[in-house]
Amino acid sequence: MATTITIDPVTRIEGHLRIDVTVDAVGGEDQIVDARSSGTMFRGFEIILAGRDPRDAGQYTQRICGVCPVSHAMASCLNLDNAFNVTPPDNGRVLRNLVLGANFLQSHILHFYHLSAVDFIDTTGLLDMSPWMPRYVSPDMASGTVAETLVAHYIEALQIRRKAQHLGAIFSGKLPHVSSFVVGGCTENVTAEKIAEFRTVLNEMRAFVENVYLPDAAALGSLFPDYFQLGAGNGNMLAFGVFDLNSGGTSKLLSRGRYTDGSPGSVDTSEITEYIKYSWFADAGGSQNPADGVTQPDPNKPDAYSWLKAPRYADKAHETGPLARMWVNGHYTNGVSVLDRITARALETKLIADAMDGWLDELTPGAAVYQSSAIPLQATSMGLTEAPRGALGHWMDINDSVISRYQVVTPTNWNASPRDDFDEPGPIEAALVGTPVADLNQPLEVLRVVHSFDPCLACAVHMVRPGKRAGGYKVLIQPGIA
Amino acid sequence: MRFSRREFLKVAAAAAAAGRLTPAALASLGRVLRIEGGPRVIWLQGAGCDGDAISFLNSIHYATVDSLLTTTIDLEFQNNLMAVTGDMAVSVGEAAGAEPGYILVVEGAIPVGGDGKYCTVWHGLSMYDAVVEFSQNASFILALGTCASFGGVTAGAPNPTNSQGVGGVLGSDDRLINLPGCPAHPDWLVGTIVYLLTNGYVPPLDEHRRPLEFFGRRIHDNCFNRREYCGQGINFAPELSGEGCKELLGCKGKRTYADCPMRKWNSDGSGEFGVNWCIGSGTTCLGCVEPGFPDALSPFYVYLPTPDGTESPDDGDRGTTVGGPEKKVTNRPDNHREMGEISGHDDHN
Repeated sequence: MATTITIDPVTRIEGHLRIDVTVDAVGGEDQIVDARSSGTMFRGFEIILAGRDPRDAGQYTQRICGVCPVSHAMASCLNLDNAFNVTPPDNGRVLRNLVLGANFLQSHILHFYHLSAVDFIDTTGLLDMSPWMPRYVSPDMASGTVAETLVAHYIEALQIRRKAQHLGAIFSGKLPHVSSFVVGGCTENVTAEKIAEFRTVLNEMRAFVENVYLPDAAALGSLFPDYFQLGAGNGNMLAFGVFDLNSGGTSKLLSRGRYTDGSPGSVDTSEITEYIKYSWFADAGGSQNPADGVTQPDPNKPDAYSWLKAPRYADKAHETGPLARMWVNGHYTNGVSVLDRITARALETKLIADAMDGWLDELTPGAAVYQSSAIPLQATSMGLTEAPRGALGHWMDINDSVISRYQVVTPTNWNASPRDDFDEPGPIEAALVGTPVADLNQPLEVLRVVHSFDPCLACAVHMVRPGKRAGGYKVLIQPGIA
Repeated sequence: MRFSRREFLKVAAAAAAAGRLTPAALASLGRVLRIEGGPRVIWLQGAGCDGDAISFLNSIHYATVDSLLTTTIDLEFQNNLMAVTGDMAVSVGEAAGAEPGYILVVEGAIPVGGDGKYCTVWHGLSMYDAVVEFSQNASFILALGTCASFGGVTAGAPNPTNSQGVGGVLGSDDRLINLPGCPAHPDWLVGTIVYLLTNGYVPPLDEHRRPLEFFGRRIHDNCFNRREYCGQGINFAPELSGEGCKELLGCKGKRTYADCPMRKWNSDGSGEFGVNWCIGSGTTCLGCVEPGFPDALSPFYVYLPTPDGTESPDDGDRGTTVGGPEKKVTNRPDNHREMGEISGHDDHN
């Protein structure tokens, strides 16, 4: 007989997430046959941003997420550079990359050890205190030497993750929430001393990634081979790309791309549509006057179950994240599963950490880091980048030199989205279906699938205005801006 | 050897009397608390970004987070770190809240609008109800970050979710300590917990219920830009990243009270101060610890006269040396709460 279990709160994530799964016998095994993912917090950032000085966008949008603030800072800077028609000096571009890279390191390490690994190891006798007590214990968990090693690395990783924030702060003022990212570049001046300090800490990070993180991720893979088969979802992937290697951003460390229905494709942002049939927002009346299309929260909407909207690319759900980035760049194409996500994330950490060492050589002490510019009277712009957990886009309209509309579409909007208007599930919902559940009181399998996406729910919600697509809300894009 | 609470207090008081708890003293403090069970902490997250939790995980002057978690505090409920999830997490939270004597940490604002539905802690429990309920048995309430203290960015105009800080929900409460900052510096949290453990009562606070030790001095009075240049007449930076005072570029250091210039951020280890800070990175202070943040302190990159219009840009006044005026102490000894009210569990064995 089918049983529905509610997991609320889902812990060891950022923000507020609820998962409902229906479990039923399939071929003699209890499996998830249906899943619903719900974001349970709404703040209304875009409502708060309207009417403000455009230069402040980066400081507000960073406060969307304390785990990936640098990605919001980067997206807003690219967005504002675009609107203000200003090109940062090379030093400014490279400084932004170094700080963002440092935040990828802290986020990926935090995810592997502190958010995700606890799902796979029995910590009995190793961490017998809050917040690791009480805990789940299941027969398939790693124990003995493996558990001891991973717990020791959990503790070591607390220090290494902190070092990653120290690393980023050298060029950003502080973390979380950087101060040095502004339209036109970065405000932190480059000195030989700061480069040397950065390199020293980076080398420590690289040694940890190479000698500890990668072997631990590989060990998890060899201990849980089943999880290379579980949590696939529909296999569609989307990446906006990140780490501009030249001043126009035409070359990136991780390029923009897409993989839909088994074929690679380019990204045309006008194909992004958002649906709200199952989201707690009042239906604004379809594709009428764009100026009237502001979506309003409606916490009592019938059938709705999430504060997240359902973004779709060409009307199809796509997952975003390290696996999508590595996949569309051809760096990792082993498969789509829980452990493929974990493995791709670890490999990406090394790729970024190694690239950062080279970027340090591109800095010129004493050279300009910042180019001043003026607020335009009117502009329409966007900034696309990546957060550690996936594709991030900021869109903005400026009127009378203030923000008239600001819109954020975050990675977890894609990954944890509810069903769309065609009743198609979001990536996490789809990935959960087919997952066996051994003990309904210890939904470890659910956690392993959900955590593999590294969800970050604080980012959840934003406003849209209707496009031409019936029933949907099209992200407004100016043609010609890429 | 089994230390008693009394012996612990002697160790901690000796360390405090020496001026500041050293890492070694804290380690011994940690050993004591480990034996007796650490002071219990329940950490609720509302409408925020979890940035204060991430900041807490960073290195701190008083101790590293791994020693805090494994030997010092008993972090009974914390969404980002706890092992269990769903119903078992709810049970843990409910059981912890039923037993008086914990330190309640609130992170994020509390949406009052929409019948509280804009943020739920778990199914059936809004953040609003959670703060009201969990405050009942708390010995002390720490509003961590500007959202929890005053509403912060979440309550930015037009405050679409009618979000409030803890004080806005609970009203006047002598257990409440505001630790604002966007995010809050980890030292401000850990230093306050250390103070509560060693003294057993609320530290001296300013009129916004912020500890004077951390929020008693004005940024501007301790800024290296001011110290460096005021002797030769003020040097205003022409643009961001340029040398000199950033006041005309929008720096809010003149109306912001925090110890960032001395403490700095993101230290590389226990016992060390930080590597950088906002003004140190060539830009402005946003005023993120102030009750009016963000609305009263933005636009961030525009010079704003002070609200009463009395203060002009710094004209190079040479009268004030490092330090600046101390702020008024508002709590009195009769408000002090006793140490015995923080309970610890016995060993988890």
